[in-house]
Amino acid sequence: MRDLVHESAFAGLRAAGAGDGVVAVERVGLAIATVIQRRVQSRELSATVTANFAIDLPAGAEWTANNGVAWLGTGPGKWLALSEARETEFVGKLKTKLGEFASVVEQSDGLGVLRLTGPALFRTLEKGVQLDLAPGAFPTGSVAVTSIAHIGVTLWKVDDQPTVDVAVARSLCNSFLHWLEASAAPYGLTALGEQG
Amino acid sequence: MSGPRRLANGGLIDRTKTIRFSFDGNPLQGFGGDTLASALMANGVRLVGRSFKYHRPRGIFSAGPEEPNALVELRSGARREPNTKATTVELFDGLEATSQNRWPSLAFDIHAINQLAGPLLVTGFYYKTFMWPAAFWEKIYEPAIRRAAGLGRLSGEADPDTYEKAYAFCDLLVIGAGPAGLAAALTAGRTGARVILAEDDFVLGGRLNSETHEIDGAPGTIWAKRVEEELETLPNVRVMRRMSVFGTYDGEYGAVERVADHVPVPPAFTPRQRLWKIVARETILAMGAVERGIVFGGNDTPGVMLASAMRTYVNRFAAAPGRHIAVFTASDYGWRTALDLAKAGVTVACVVDTRTKVAPEVVALAGDAPVFLGGRVTDARGGRALKSIAVLDATGNRRTIAVDALAVSGGFNPDIALSTHLGSKPAWSEPKAAFLAAQLPDGMAVAGAAAGHWTLAEALHDGTVLGADAAARGGRRPQGMLRYRTSDEHYAVNAFWHVAESRKKAFVDLQNDVTDKDVALAAREGFRSVEHLKRYTTLGMATDQGKTSNVSGLAIMAELTGRTIVQTGVTRARPPHVPVAIAAFAGLHTGRHFKPTRLTSGHGWAAAQGATFVDAGPWLRAQWFAQAGETDWLQSVTREVRTVRSGSGFCDVSTLGKIALMGPDVGALLDRIYINTFSTLAVGRVRYGVMLREDGFVMDDGTTARLGPDHWVMSTTTANAGKVMQHLAFCHQVLWPELDVQMVSVTEQWAQYAVAGPRSRELLQRLLGDAADLSNAAFPYLACAEFRLGQIPARLFRISFSGELAYEIAVPAGYGGALARRLADAGREFGATPYGTEALSVMRIEKGHVAGNELNGQTVAGDLGLGRMMSTKKDFVGRLMAARPALVDPQRPSLVGLKPVQSGDRLRAGAHFMARGVAPAPETDQGYMTSTAFSPTLGHWIGLGLLARGAQRIGELIRAYDPVRSGDVEVEVVSPVFVDPAGVRVRA
Repeated sequence: MRDLVHESAFAGLRAAGAGDGVVAVERVGLAIATVIQRRVQSRELSATVTANFAIDLPAGAEWTANNGVAWLGTGPGKWLALSEARETEFVGKLKTKLGEFASVVEQSDGLGVLRLTGPALFRTLEKGVQLDLAPGAFPTGSVAVTSIAHIGVTLWKVDDQPTVDVAVARSLCNSFLHWLEASAAPYGLTALGEQG
Repeated sequence: MSGPRRLANGGLIDRTKTIRFSFDGNPLQGFGGDTLASALMANGVRLVGRSFKYHRPRGIFSAGPEEPNALVELRSGARREPNTKATTVELFDGLEATSQNRWPSLAFDIHAINQLAGPLLVTGFYYKTFMWPAAFWEKIYEPAIRRAAGLGRLSGEADPDTYEKAYAFCDLLVIGAGPAGLAAALTAGRTGARVILAEDDFVLGGRLNSETHEIDGAPGTIWAKRVEEELETLPNVRVMRRMSVFGTYDGEYGAVERVADHVPVPPAFTPRQRLWKIVARETILAMGAVERGIVFGGNDTPGVMLASAMRTYVNRFAAAPGRHIAVFTASDYGWRTALDLAKAGVTVACVVDTRTKVAPEVVALAGDAPVFLGGRVTDARGGRALKSIAVLDATGNRRTIAVDALAVSGGFNPDIALSTHLGSKPAWSEPKAAFLAAQLPDGMAVAGAAAGHWTLAEALHDGTVLGADAAARGGRRPQGMLRYRTSDEHYAVNAFWHVAESRKKAFVDLQNDVTDKDVALAAREGFRSVEHLKRYTTLGMATDQGKTSNVSGLAIMAELTGRTIVQTGVTRARPPHVPVAIAAFAGLHTGRHFKPTRLTSGHGWAAAQGATFVDAGPWLRAQWFAQAGETDWLQSVTREVRTVRSGSGFCDVSTLGKIALMGPDVGALLDRIYINTFSTLAVGRVRYGVMLREDGFVMDDGTTARLGPDHWVMSTTTANAGKVMQHLAFCHQVLWPELDVQMVSVTEQWAQYAVAGPRSRELLQRLLGDAADLSNAAFPYLACAEFRLGQIPARLFRISFSGELAYEIAVPAGYGGALARRLADAGREFGATPYGTEALSVMRIEKGHVAGNELNGQTVAGDLGLGRMMSTKKDFVGRLMAARPALVDPQRPSLVGLKPVQSGDRLRAGAHFMARGVAPAPETDQGYMTSTAFSPTLGHWIGLGLLARGAQRIGELIRAYDPVRSGDVEVEVVSPVFVDPAGVRVRA
């Protein structure tokens, strides 16, 4: 059983149409955890996160990152923690460090994460996201827990290039790709190789 | 030239671009910038359709979306599209248009004989005529009426094009790009406000394109072009052409963009249409006004047309509606139409104005043409094309004047339906002779002709001021106010609706063939409310929604009933303002993409094994795995069950809901959620639980495992996963926020396989090696554990749905496919089979386990034989309500097993139980069969059912009566546990 082969959630990602209006790459190998604060432990949790990860835990629908670990506010007292380092023990370590103040639940395989960029990114996203993603309304650092084509997604603005990351429940990744291909193909959807 | 009626000069058409198209198979030519209607007009085509009820010949009446007559079928084959308004179709090369609602040809339509039966076909004809005998309705009357009614034909084929949806946000939505809309968009756009300018047409400018005004010394069309060019340079402004805003909703607008309607076939990856939801902080409604006709005899004759439409055809499209044209008007607008026609080289045969007093400078616009002030056109004649009109002058003399077209102007109706979609009604303005918007939705303002401000100067002023105001409210103050110098015109109107002296049939609503007599009949028969008038006569229904007819209809009703228009009122406009294809609402969600599909990580492997899949909620699950030579699903399922019961098998159970529960108070929460106690569950153990709804009925069942002191995993049924998560969140957040519990779904994180059968331990042990000890002593029934397979975390649960020795193994979902492959490889030695949901279901029925058929929202724990699980030592959700007398009534149907007395008989779920020898009737009904299966283990059909006092009736023979499928089978009531009732195997 030791040589079981892992399959990433967006293994079905393909190019569509001509051009690179939207460039998509799956962020494979991310370690992801849901972090939910225990009752009345917010101050202790924030302090512990700051002490261990040198960031201020976002209080709202925002994200912050340091040293390859990003923290996304996804609800009151609830975060997604993502580690870029391909360390299998990330979630375990997180549990050890935060366990007193938060529940940490492994989600590395539960979510597929796509990084999207390109000149037609917003013309594509506006075909699915029912939120205002204009720079003034959704600046870099913003997080939204919303839906695209009836599929629940968490998306966050990575930079002003613009780049947006989208996390999708694994079982729905194929349906999500149908939306993405249909919506981006007029401008050209380019699929790049994996990125950690 | 592109037709005999094309004017030599002028127009906003591209004469260098010839476009070939056909109408009823005749090849014709038009120019770039033409609509289908303008191209037909330029080609001298007068007759374009037949009317709905009487099949009367009809021509082009308007030049916009208000068109009631010129409805055609566009394209052919699967793309055939009925009831398209020729006035809004942008001409493209290769366009095929066909007239509709006629047979055998447009010129000779046999159904025109309906006109002879006109006296019979008046309003209410169907209601009054086809009432008796009632039995005739469904088989004879309705089919006959349906054949005769309707206009175009659907293609009957699947739409080959795609549609999509999109969402936009702005500070200001400007609806309509006429002078008011352009001025508003420009003013607000220059401040940096986010502006969306939505225009239904494919060119901007609105009536500037149809009339001959000047702004700041330049033609209005040039001004519009300049504004358009500037707007295109502003990054904060989005100009959207071919975009119809069709509905106002709470805080948002619906719009449809015709992305590729103007090309024969959409380019690759391009949708045909796009449905928009626009969230706008503010909106300026600048949709202008729609001219209304006048009701007189023969006013539907091809060649009778709105005056505004004539100006559009002459000025914008350089297409002459006729050679000798008369004008019939109740306003100054008609006189300006006469001037434009004369300038275009058309002979103005006469101007007939219902008013006796008209300003001299207005009368002068008619030039040398005969003028009849205080006159009326009583009748238009000509059949398939207008030949003459009968004019009644102010002195009572009648005369006939030869004409080939007649411009009619009865005043203007502001296009304000979008302002009333949230429920308000417009208010009648006597000075404007028009309904104006009264209570506007929050954030909406009305500009220009839509506000009854008819002149160009007013429109530009409105747009500028309202655009500036909207920007200022968003914190962006414009630098100085734009002022425009316009060549404008005086406008005066007297409301005039109906020529009483007409002799011929006079139409109020051209699309629905509603005449003045129909309105009078409705009044006589008591349908005097405008809403009744509409339903009784069909006035204002269908694709034009009465844009040219509603106000005339209610005004005539007001006259007939001696009321004012204010007293009579107006019907409420509802979305959509213009027809929207259903496909646009569906967007990408058609066929198998109707809704998202959830696939397990082992889906690809199962598909490669030839699995047949079944929808299970949002999931696709393997139903069975047919092997070579198996021709029938039952064969495959029977083999799968036998293999599992005699050896081993594995089944993807990843779809079951999995909820991680963490925190010190999980046990306390579960005690309140489940009917049985969970706080006592030891770490490393699993327990079966049942939860109730607040009303005492069973909500769901499943197992919860305790993986650590404060780490639990709840398993739910596939169907109820979302509902249970919601229930838990509600209970925690609303009922018991004091409990320190954290919960999150982990269904997506884990791929989980059931491994079942007497040899399942050997199979799994082979797979796991020394990673886990599966001996009964180390890992007994209802044990659970977390361990590692190398670097991969895994979970193991010893639980069984089949009744066999069984486990469920979970690995991170990315390894789900690999685990399935490995189980198949390792299983080969043990003869293991993959099995699907059918075999799973057969085995759970054999074992008497309840599932969705029994957890149907109507059963309580006692009904399912689970009553003793209900703890009396604690409180839990549903406890009190479950104790209601009806829910503890011993007569209630409860779970039993059934087997046929004749072992060859087939049992069917849904069959009703009754005592033998009793006539089937609702009173003798004693319950029903919930689940059935052919039991490979027993060799005959078995069933589970809910039978009144079931538990006390073991051994009794009853009837399973199934009249729908002609089934009437004698069955024996038995224990619901058919296989291993002592539970030896699961503990093996």
